[in-house]
Amino acid sequence: MKTSKINVHYITRVEGHGDIVLNAVDGEIEELKWKVIEAPRFFEAMLRGRNYNDVPIIASRICGICSIAHTIASVKAVEAAFGINPTEQTLTLRKLLHNAEYLESHVLHTLFLAAPDYLGVSSVFPLVETHKDIVVMALSLKRLAYNMAEIIAGRKTHPLGCVVGGFSMTPDINALKDIKQRLEAARGDLEIIVKLFKTLEILSFERETEYIALKDSREYALVNGDIGSTDSQTLPVSSYLGVTNEFCVPWSTAKYTKHKRDSYMVGALSRFNLNHGQLLPQAKNAAVELGLIAPNYNPYMITVAQLVETIHVIEDSINIIKHLESTGLKEETPVVKVKAGRGVGAVEAPRGLLIHDYTFNDKGILTAANCIIPTNQNHNNIQKDMEALVPGILDQTEDEIRRKLEMLVRSYDPCISCSTHLLKISFTNKK
Amino acid sequence: MAKEMILVVDDEAIVRESIKDWLIQSGYQVLTAENGEEALEMIKKQDFRVMVLDIRLPGESGINVLAKAKTINPKLKSIIITAYPTEDTLIEAKKHGAIDYLIKPVIPEDLEKLIQDTVNSIDDGVATEKERIEKAPSPITKLYSITSSGVKSLIEGLIREREVIGVKSKQGKFIFDKLNSYDELILDYDITLLPPSKFLFPAKETLLKFNVESGPKFQVVNDAKPRALVGVHPDDINAIALLDDVFIKINPDPNYITRRQNTLIIGVNCLHPASESFAPSMGTNTADSGYDLLLTDIGIGFMAAVGTKTGAELLNKYANPREVTGEEIARQKEVRDEAVTKYQRSLNVPKERLLKLLQDNYENPFWEFRAKSCLSCGSCVMVCPTCFCFDVQDEMALNLIEGERYRNWDGCVLVDFAKVASGENFRHTKGSRFRHRILRKGKYILEKYGRAGCVGCGRCATACLAKIASPVEAFNAIAESERVKEEADRIIIEAESKHNIYLPHLALLVNVQDLGAKEKVFDFKFVDGRALGHKPGQFVEVSIPGIGESPISISSSPTRGEEFQLAVRNVGSVTNALHKLKEGQVVGIRGPFGKGFPIDQLKGKDILFIAGGIGLFPLRSLIQYVLDKRENFGRIIILLGARSPSERMFTSELEQWNRNPSIEYMETVEKGDEKWMGNVGVVTALIPKVRVDIKNTVAVIVGPPIMYRFVINELKKIGLADEHIVLSLERRMKCGVGKCGHCQINGIYVCQDGPVFTLEQLRGLREAVL
Amino acid sequence: MKPRVAFFDFASCEGCQLEALNLDAGELLDLIAAVDIVNFREAMSESSDTYDIAFIEGSVTRESDIARLEKIRQRAKILIALGACATIGGVNCLKNHMPMEEALKIVYGEDAKNYDTIPTKPIDEVVHVDYYVRGCPPPTSEMLKVVKAILLGKKPEIPNYPVCVECKWSGNVCAFERAMTCLGPVSRAGCGAICVTKGRNCWGCRGLVDEPNVDSEKEILQKHGITLEQALQKFQIYCTGGEKK
Repeated sequence: MKTSKINVHYITRVEGHGDIVLNAVDGEIEELKWKVIEAPRFFEAMLRGRNYNDVPIIASRICGICSIAHTIASVKAVEAAFGINPTEQTLTLRKLLHNAEYLESHVLHTLFLAAPDYLGVSSVFPLVETHKDIVVMALSLKRLAYNMAEIIAGRKTHPLGCVVGGFSMTPDINALKDIKQRLEAARGDLEIIVKLFKTLEILSFERETEYIALKDSREYALVNGDIGSTDSQTLPVSSYLGVTNEFCVPWSTAKYTKHKRDSYMVGALSRFNLNHGQLLPQAKNAAVELGLIAPNYNPYMITVAQLVETIHVIEDSINIIKHLESTGLKEETPVVKVKAGRGVGAVEAPRGLLIHDYTFNDKGILTAANCIIPTNQNHNNIQKDMEALVPGILDQTEDEIRRKLEMLVRSYDPCISCSTHLLKISFTNKK
Repeated sequence: MAKEMILVVDDEAIVRESIKDWLIQSGYQVLTAENGEEALEMIKKQDFRVMVLDIRLPGESGINVLAKAKTINPKLKSIIITAYPTEDTLIEAKKHGAIDYLIKPVIPEDLEKLIQDTVNSIDDGVATEKERIEKAPSPITKLYSITSSGVKSLIEGLIREREVIGVKSKQGKFIFDKLNSYDELILDYDITLLPPSKFLFPAKETLLKFNVESGPKFQVVNDAKPRALVGVHPDDINAIALLDDVFIKINPDPNYITRRQNTLIIGVNCLHPASESFAPSMGTNTADSGYDLLLTDIGIGFMAAVGTKTGAELLNKYANPREVTGEEIARQKEVRDEAVTKYQRSLNVPKERLLKLLQDNYENPFWEFRAKSCLSCGSCVMVCPTCFCFDVQDEMALNLIEGERYRNWDGCVLVDFAKVASGENFRHTKGSRFRHRILRKGKYILEKYGRAGCVGCGRCATACLAKIASPVEAFNAIAESERVKEEADRIIIEAESKHNIYLPHLALLVNVQDLGAKEKVFDFKFVDGRALGHKPGQFVEVSIPGIGESPISISSSPTRGEEFQLAVRNVGSVTNALHKLKEGQVVGIRGPFGKGFPIDQLKGKDILFIAGGIGLFPLRSLIQYVLDKRENFGRIIILLGARSPSERMFTSELEQWNRNPSIEYMETVEKGDEKWMGNVGVVTALIPKVRVDIKNTVAVIVGPPIMYRFVINELKKIGLADEHIVLSLERRMKCGVGKCGHCQINGIYVCQDGPVFTLEQLRGLREAVL
Repeated sequence: MKPRVAFFDFASCEGCQLEALNLDAGELLDLIAAVDIVNFREAMSESSDTYDIAFIEGSVTRESDIARLEKIRQRAKILIALGACATIGGVNCLKNHMPMEEALKIVYGEDAKNYDTIPTKPIDEVVHVDYYVRGCPPPTSEMLKVVKAILLGKKPEIPNYPVCVECKWSGNVCAFERAMTCLGPVSRAGCGAICVTKGRNCWGCRGLVDEPNVDSEKEILQKHGITLEQALQKFQIYCTGGEKK
């Protein structure tokens, strides 16, 4: 039997820093680890003592790709703590803003980070020669999402307009109309991308696990909802601690989580498995075309689920803008009354369930914070997947094994630098 | 501007003639009379501005002459001169309208100054602003009455015709912005955040586009969109009149002119002024010109004053105007009078006294003290309707082939405004920048353009977070002011289509030679064959598109053919790029700019040339010229200083000068080497070694600032007069045409009034390098 | 030969580098035509140890970061600090305001001893930096400006005046007039005053101007109802890891 020694240091084409280590001798696995060695960033500690207005600004900096998700979750947590109910218009605009991030993030992942492996290249840059149309398409879809976020919240990375209680700026309805036209034109682009994906041989591997995502009776849950699971009844967001159960492992600066089984998964595949019935028709059709049928236990299909969601958010956004065209947009000034309290805000970030939990004193100063990051919750699942996958492929070449392991990690679309703040359960009593 | 007429009356010929000479030299027209009767006859025939009168005259006494003159020409101002001042005489004289007096023997400077101040002042010494306002400008001849629906259809008509910019509300404040419908318009407002002039001179605009594929090509960019500004208050109208003078009269600015000629101005009188506004104190709360229409809301309707033919046409077309009634005129006066009472800020002294006041308080510690909490944030200048300094930059596209040259608002209060490429900052303290701004508002602009530099709108005081920016507070704090002359009727001048002042001409690099470790000399000639036509001492602006533009003095004489030479030291981005050029490449050149060396003054004189280091570069142009026209000049003495032998430049030419028998040549280096056999030491030390006839010598000096101090010291020691010492100054020059503001030294622009100056001219400029 | 460009990141949110991928198609294609991107871990698998220009995103927060950064400095002809974390320390500096042990304990509990961490440093406290591209995130135009300046051989013209200038160019209502407190008067412009334009205040993410009148700013903040302690807190979010002059 073989000896395989693989050490992927700082895996590429993922956000953040992680290592894959495999040491197998004569068919016996001596070590197999998914190591997260990202620098710890101490966000929960840094938020302490901050004014509520500054909290979402700092929390946004947890992640550069999903800064919108963090901002929305943060703002929702503050509003929950103060007992503020935002207006219909605010809720609608937040959905639209969130959709913009989905569009950008999923296109980035499916085409720039994951697809190259399937097309036999090591990055998107060579594709400029061979698949220039696809690259230009991907860039213009990202640009569309970028402009969409600019119009709603002033900026895509670390948005400005989304504040506690509402929005600090009102988008121009004519600019949104332009976006709608571009979204409608994007339908054609997505058809081409789906066609491309149908030609790719998605790796096959199955391991059933627990799938967790937000659930909302009204729609496919992305911004609102309660915690849904394939293994249990739906729970209110405020009881998240009983679901996540974070614990430390020595080889990782990110903590692990588990609920009903040894590990669980969050992200596009979880959302699909739980809520596929609520996808908009065009997305449902795409899922069928791409061979994605619920329940699906293949982590390599997360990427495909993301593609399906991309089509969903495009349609959803078109509908939202049509609705705003009929109601018009009003200038609404956020009104905030601070009070002491604790609140939890949850959204589905592109990579999975994201939770911000804040406690404030009566002056609106944050005294304690806890953040559960999507990728955090996936590290354990990745580890278990690898443990299930490797024995079956040990007889392949090192390059093949390495490729499959990297692609496994990549398909989770991990956001590692966000995932490295953890919080222990009892808080030290310092202001 | 026509020369002012002065009448000098004195029975002593020597007094008459000498005063006449001094005043003619200062640019006035002067006539004389030897007695009172003659003087009065002349006053009947000519419109004199000022009379200088000896109080003791044969025949008709000076006092009588004063009184009679007043009846003939009430506007004539008189200055008494007397050898025997008594209190009684002087009181009498003042009672009869004399402005001031001087004691004989009269000192030319004092008389000059007094005449200057008198000429600049207006009217009849009205003391308070209330009286002044009541004596308001001449009645408007074309006044109509329209209803508010007439106003509405006027605006709606305009919106159909062109882009209309009117006053709207934004977050509880007011702004000028595009009007989509009449309902958005607000005519009764106190002040806008930014002045309406931002549509004539925007915060950022492209001047040129360029493309460098196969040599630089420039293309002009202009905005000719027809617009109308609606709701402009009189203070802003006055400000636009100033900008018109700045951008149109000399070196016409094509970008401004195009916008201006395509913009209508519909003004509205201000009924509810901003809390910081002091427009009445500056005489700018009213305007009798500078608009197409000026509306006043009189409650029962609107009064519309017509300022131009276009205004009249618009009124007829849309607003159904009719003749005004007496009641309406009275109502308008009531409304405007009431508005005046609402101003909360005012000058404590007549504004005419500001000039002298600011002049005399240059060293007042108030400036530094007041500016202590200044953030140098620029808010005061950016919101100001009369500020117009700007910066010019090049931006290349990523393909490095095409790009644009644009300008954006800049401000003298920003820290780096007066910084040059070598790193020196000529206004590096907050106090000096604060003082410069206030002096500009109260003095320099008035002196240069004849209009108020501050219209008292109050925007700066509102915008300043540190609460120090208000000019009226500064003026009052310094106290005392004088009146400023009233403005005459304005018309927009049709500018001839001359060459766009920002568009460079293409010049071919014919030859490059090294001069020193960081210096090269470049030979250029214009691609279209024209001659540069420069005078020695002038400079050009060299353009390398994408990198920028830099002022470089011309190093060769115009007598040396159609090629011209620029000797350049590599100090910044543009000179760095220049140094990388190869023969056959093309750059852009604008100019020549500035005042060159005073050749006429040098004719027939002995010339003492003194150059330190790269001061030789511009001086060489004059030396070559003088050598080419040798017979026009006397002795030629050349004193050169370099830091070390290896840093000597143009060495073969220096050799020629050394060997030329008609040149007296001396050189020195600060630090010698083993081979150097010549003088060692600073160039100042060479001066005592020459014998000059100080009555017939002019010294021409160019070098680093520190050199000037010492050289001038030496020259003064040997008795050389200030007007016989000529120097060339360096400042940061961006536009070269006296607009962008960066090269200011007190009230003058180096690019226009310099870079060559006599020491005498510089004595009046405190910021000058000495 | 086209200059070879490499991207590296330390403790950061990676938003700054990703902004490069957010350029519009025309600009991105122009960029990769003008330079060779040889190292961009986030977007490509190949890497190279030979590069001319290194963009560094993120702050130094671990002992091990120092050696890694020094090696990059040795290899690169030009080193560019990209984004607030790299230029001034950014939000990472917030942890410097409490004792290290306390921060570790709050976050990791008893497992704290496993983690290597030092007070956050901007990268110019470790190596010499040639150019700064400032902001959180920086405007892509500034990143491109620096690249263009390097290609043209000129000094990039980055403003040294406060954000107030750009606020006024945009015709904004001052943040102080909207009951907010703002660090604009002492913070470096170049961002187009985007935060104020979009209804917020300035947090100074581009660092201070060269000669900030911090005392005056503190006074102004206090005049608008902020205590001195709160004013200092406002400066802490970005501005405490200053740039080396």
